[in-house]
Amino acid sequence: MKNSYQPKIAVIKKIKIQTPEVKLFTLQFKNKEDQKNFEFIPGQFIEVGLPSFSEAPFAVCSNPNDSDKNFQICVRIAGQLTKKIHQLKINDQLTVRGPFGNGFPNNLTGNILLIGGGLGLVPLRPLILANQNNRNFKMQIFYGACEAKDLLFQNEYKIWQKSANLALTLDKQCPNWKGNVGLITTLFDKIKVDSSAIAILCGPPVMYKFVIQKLKQAGLDDANIFLSLERRMHCGIGVCQHCSVGSKYACKHGPIFSYQELKNIPGAL
Amino acid sequence: MDKKQLQKFIQWLQEKNYIVIGPTKEDGQILIKTISESSQLDFSGQLPLYSFKKYLVPSREILFKYKKDDFKADLTAFKQALIGVSIFDLKAILLYNQVFEKDPYYQARLNNTLIIGQSQIPQFQNLSFKVWEDKYEEDILEHLQFDIFLGQAKEKKSSEFKIFTGSKKGQQILNDFAKQSGWKSDFEHVEYAGPIKEEGANPEMMKIKEKMPGSLETDIWQNLDQRCIECGKCTIVCPTCFCFSLTDQPCLNKDEGMRKRCWDSCFYSEFSEITGGHKFLKNTAERIYNWYYHKFVRIPDEYNFPGCVGCGRCSMVCPAGIKIHEVLESIKTK
Repeated sequence: MKNSYQPKIAVIKKIKIQTPEVKLFTLQFKNKEDQKNFEFIPGQFIEVGLPSFSEAPFAVCSNPNDSDKNFQICVRIAGQLTKKIHQLKINDQLTVRGPFGNGFPNNLTGNILLIGGGLGLVPLRPLILANQNNRNFKMQIFYGACEAKDLLFQNEYKIWQKSANLALTLDKQCPNWKGNVGLITTLFDKIKVDSSAIAILCGPPVMYKFVIQKLKQAGLDDANIFLSLERRMHCGIGVCQHCSVGSKYACKHGPIFSYQELKNIPGAL
Repeated sequence: MDKKQLQKFIQWLQEKNYIVIGPTKEDGQILIKTISESSQLDFSGQLPLYSFKKYLVPSREILFKYKKDDFKADLTAFKQALIGVSIFDLKAILLYNQVFEKDPYYQARLNNTLIIGQSQIPQFQNLSFKVWEDKYEEDILEHLQFDIFLGQAKEKKSSEFKIFTGSKKGQQILNDFAKQSGWKSDFEHVEYAGPIKEEGANPEMMKIKEKMPGSLETDIWQNLDQRCIECGKCTIVCPTCFCFSLTDQPCLNKDEGMRKRCWDSCFYSEFSEITGGHKFLKNTAERIYNWYYHKFVRIPDEYNFPGCVGCGRCSMVCPAGIKIHEVLESIKTK
């Protein structure tokens, strides 16, 4: 019987500082077979841990087409575990379980609007990277961060813009910033969103209500709005009850849900 | 099988290296404990305060012992015989069997466990703990999972148990016992027919399930918010509360420790808390609603049977005097 709690060991191959609080870790499974067999769907997550510091869920944020070579996670210092992970160096090891959850729908075509708030850009990145040469995929990205220093993956925007339209906004005016200032909802006043678009949202819980309002105003169908739900996930397999959303589990049936599935569940959004 | 033979059978199990666990009377209370002598067992059929939960879903269990990055799963399980398991607790086992169907730790434990049920429905001293109408019925055994069952003989005055088996393991054990002890093997096998009765899902459950979502608009939960002190006692005694957290416990030796699975309680405020401090179950009202939702909507949605076995233990231990049957009544009649 498969033991879903059995972690595999991954080795840190690269560390890239993204912002003062966020590091991008490139990981590779210690066991070559584990790496070769590793596959994930954009939007899925893994449980990453350190012995004696337990585990926490992180979105896999690399290109899914590279998953047989390595994979990446973005870690913001937020608690004991992440503080410790930030102290790790190249060739140090982490434990990994997963991937878990459903991931984004895999047959996306047409106008795709990705909306990321803060760290919410992280789970969207594999979708961006995997669809750079996808001609059936017209990508518009809305990304908002607090300040200019908080913008993630800044060195990749030029490449992304070859295949996507990227609109940035900052909550606060920052020196030398010539782009939009204001919450992510203000981007809807500048860029028209097609009513036939498929929207994919990922951000802090507070963002969803307001962005959904804007999407509904633009005429999007409830079934075409997808959200990634953040919840406390311990087991990853829909047993421990921490991440329940109505009668579903964010770790098993999610973390990606359509607005249609969620709108009548109290407390889901 | 009469009482004497039953005691002999229990001794025989002990000789076969089974740890025997069952109800025993201590200071006027019925407790479930490991017994050394078969005479310690109490077959009066009174409801023990705690269920058999911890013997199948332990309050703390070691999933791994780790040394640096080497995680070794600890799947050892000892042979145990749970004896005198009431219908209530058998229903809870039915739920564990579904929830932990793919859990190697649970399955290892279950494989080493002999489940011996007992028919007497507890005579409640206080009828106010009764949760819902769910009386002992003739056909209930075929909807429960057990190895051996001690049924009451048809003739009320008889002190003999009518023996049923519910598994191959149960049949095998009884045949072995008969061979070795001279007991005149006499039992009836009951084929498991799944957890749900032919006539379909429990109508009482369906009614509550239907009314639950709408009850959010009523003052039921606000009233409970004022009363419940979130001590979590109900979640500890509840045979069907199985939620857990995973934590690491470092040892004193450097780089060594244990990854553990421990009971949690959805009444604790950090249960739904994520990094940054946001809680998805924000207050007592939301947490108590979630507890009822799990038992009367989420479990029925997942498995089509109720997440409440009707034992009333939560009402017995609640320091705030919250009675589950009253809450359910107010949900139904709102």
